[in-house]
Amino acid sequence: MTEDKAAPASGIILVVGGGISGLTTALEAAEVGYEVFLVEKNPYLGGRVAQLNQYFPKLCPPTCGLEINFRRIKDNPRIKVFTLAEVTKVDGAAGNYDVSIELSPRYVNENCTCCGDCAAACETEIDSDYDFGMKKVKGAYLPFEMAFPSRYVISPQIIGTDDAQKCADACQYDAVDLTMQPKTIDLSVGAIVWSTGWEPYDATKIDNLGFGQYANIITNMMMERLAAPNGPTKGNIVRPSDDKAPESIAFVQCAGSRDENHLPYCSYICCMASLKQATYVRERYPEAKIYIFYIDLRAPGYRYEQFYNKIKEDENVFFIKGKVAEVSEDAGSKNITVVAENAVTGEKIHQTVDMAVLATGMQPTAANAKLPADLTYTEDGFIINDFAKGGMFASGCANKPLDVVSSNQNATGMALKAIQTLVRR
Amino acid sequence: MADAYVVEPDVGFINEIKGLGGGDLKKCFQCATCSVACPIAPDNKPFPRKEMIAASWGLKDKLVGNGDIWLCHNCGDCSTLCPRGAKPGDVLSAIRAYAVIEYGPVKAIGKLINNPKMLPVVLGIPAVLFIVIGLITGLLDFTPEGDKIAHGHFFSTWLVDIMMIPAAIWTVANFAIGIKRFLGDMHRNALQDGKTDIQKIDPKGFIMGLVRVILPILKHDKFNECSENKDRATAHMMVLFGFIGLFIVTNIFFVALYGLQLHGPYSQLNPVKWLGNVAGISLIIGSLLMIKNRLAKKEDQVSSYKDWWLIIWALSLGVTGLLAEMTRLAGVAGLSYFIYFVHLMFVWSLFFFIAYSKLAHLVYRTMALGYNEYIGRQ
Repeated sequence: MTEDKAAPASGIILVVGGGISGLTTALEAAEVGYEVFLVEKNPYLGGRVAQLNQYFPKLCPPTCGLEINFRRIKDNPRIKVFTLAEVTKVDGAAGNYDVSIELSPRYVNENCTCCGDCAAACETEIDSDYDFGMKKVKGAYLPFEMAFPSRYVISPQIIGTDDAQKCADACQYDAVDLTMQPKTIDLSVGAIVWSTGWEPYDATKIDNLGFGQYANIITNMMMERLAAPNGPTKGNIVRPSDDKAPESIAFVQCAGSRDENHLPYCSYICCMASLKQATYVRERYPEAKIYIFYIDLRAPGYRYEQFYNKIKEDENVFFIKGKVAEVSEDAGSKNITVVAENAVTGEKIHQTVDMAVLATGMQPTAANAKLPADLTYTEDGFIINDFAKGGMFASGCANKPLDVVSSNQNATGMALKAIQTLVRR
Repeated sequence: MADAYVVEPDVGFINEIKGLGGGDLKKCFQCATCSVACPIAPDNKPFPRKEMIAASWGLKDKLVGNGDIWLCHNCGDCSTLCPRGAKPGDVLSAIRAYAVIEYGPVKAIGKLINNPKMLPVVLGIPAVLFIVIGLITGLLDFTPEGDKIAHGHFFSTWLVDIMMIPAAIWTVANFAIGIKRFLGDMHRNALQDGKTDIQKIDPKGFIMGLVRVILPILKHDKFNECSENKDRATAHMMVLFGFIGLFIVTNIFFVALYGLQLHGPYSQLNPVKWLGNVAGISLIIGSLLMIKNRLAKKEDQVSSYKDWWLIIWALSLGVTGLLAEMTRLAGVAGLSYFIYFVHLMFVWSLFFFIAYSKLAHLVYRTMALGYNEYIGRQ
């Protein structure tokens, strides 16, 4: 900015969701001078991106980009972050909303130094949602190394048990406060940006693809966790049934996407995600064979297409045009056989592999839990941006399936829309 | 495989397939789920994905003479899994209806019975023919006498057979021509698409193939591989066996009448009569079950005119046959004669229209299954 035009502080922007879109919306608005409340339901910021191993196409770890954003938030007094927080009520109109937010107790206060004594003292182990249940964590845990805020969480599952008390006793900093209660706060804001993001489509619903039935069929998001250095296998891609290094992997594209029995739309990212994951496998297992079964491949733009072309040159990666519609498991070896028709040659292929990855799509969070606000949705649960009405907007994957880059572009745009709502009054 | 293939899209063909029940074919985006979902598609050139794109492009020559459309038993597994709601099962069914018309030597008849507006004509033809021929020959007796009701008194068996035998011969001739052309096309298509490398059909081998598929057809083996609409097998079996039973009974009585000079009505104690009654009931129950199944599957499966025509016609055949017998036994002469008249109309329709109706699948599907068995494609 060439001249200092302090934005009129005529209101506050509420950003719902602390994933990459919400972070960007919040930061872009705050860094031009607006007050922002950032509300996140998880105990940490970063959303889905925080679960990834690498971004495509640059294959850099997402923690890198997240860290910069976390630092920007830390340095910016205009952003107030609420974690373990959910919006329960929105009243009013553009420029003047009354919002109720329910805060769940974290049972750990600002004194926490992340020393980990509470986790060491805790005996109970719980499933880690962050790792899609592939890992157990202690009842007192740090969501992940880079978590922001960098504070432990005591799971409500151990509250009231001896374990909780042990955690409290172990803490040398009086950081564990088991008396914390849920509370509701009321905020007045001028504009709201819903950055409620997405959930991986529930693969158990795709009954012909065997997820949940056969151990060695996983989803693409599980693959991210397997490949991530902080994941359940510390970055070793091994198959769930016997921790064996896979010699062959099938990627099943459009698993539940572009399918009117599931998600009728294209989830946009799964092709690139599978191409990226092919590099994870190739890097670790140079001899492994990779079979990518697809209907159409979507690698939009020069950089993505270049990425695709590079993978295509790999002689151990085979592309088969044909959707997998049947899977089976060999009872002894636990190998998976996927069946598809190669639509180019007209032959049915029964490909046996060590494990299969379902490229499941993204479903907007709002599809399964309607938001407490007067919003309009597509049939599939994406929020429709009504710019004429203004006041409330959706950014990122709450609005449509997007990759990280486009989410950020979209989020910046929605930050501007929110600002316009405030200054027009 | 041919080195070059000139694509000749036929837009009229696409529209006709849509009209025959394949209305959603353009929704297909070629994901090939259907070919995998199909429990009976072979590994080499499975169907129906390739048929879906050919239909979408209006490639009539890739479809009409394609034996694979007949291998399909329309179980609906493909349509259930189809991510686009393109209903491949119904598209193939529509293509079959089109193929039946194509292979009938007189296409106008095929068009006639597939046109709902022409139903009165279709029903009227046998009635008018019957009365006209009856009046001309004087074989129609409007004052049947005698203590016992005998349908033969009203409609001379001569009159009946003057009508029926030519109709039967007509149908046999139609099928003969249709089969000959179909087999030639099917073989050409199989060679072109790489389904077989047998250059010339060996008649003996083909007939052996046909023989080998008869038992599986009777046992409905292919039907039973289906997961989505397995219950269809029972209904279809009842109708098929009903027809077979009635066919046998008709032939026996034909021989009894002309060979042994035995005139009906025959005693209810006669085992042939039992077979006739059981077959008739089987036909009625089977077709009622089919109606029930189709009504229950309105969303998943298209039921077009051609489908209803055959089912309702089969039901009517059975119902009028049994009612004619029951009213006769009950002694209601006028009603019995009338119902018998209606029954005869349905029988004649069977003889005359079979080669152009959906019932022609009996012949074409059997040929396709036999051919597939012969070329050993699994």
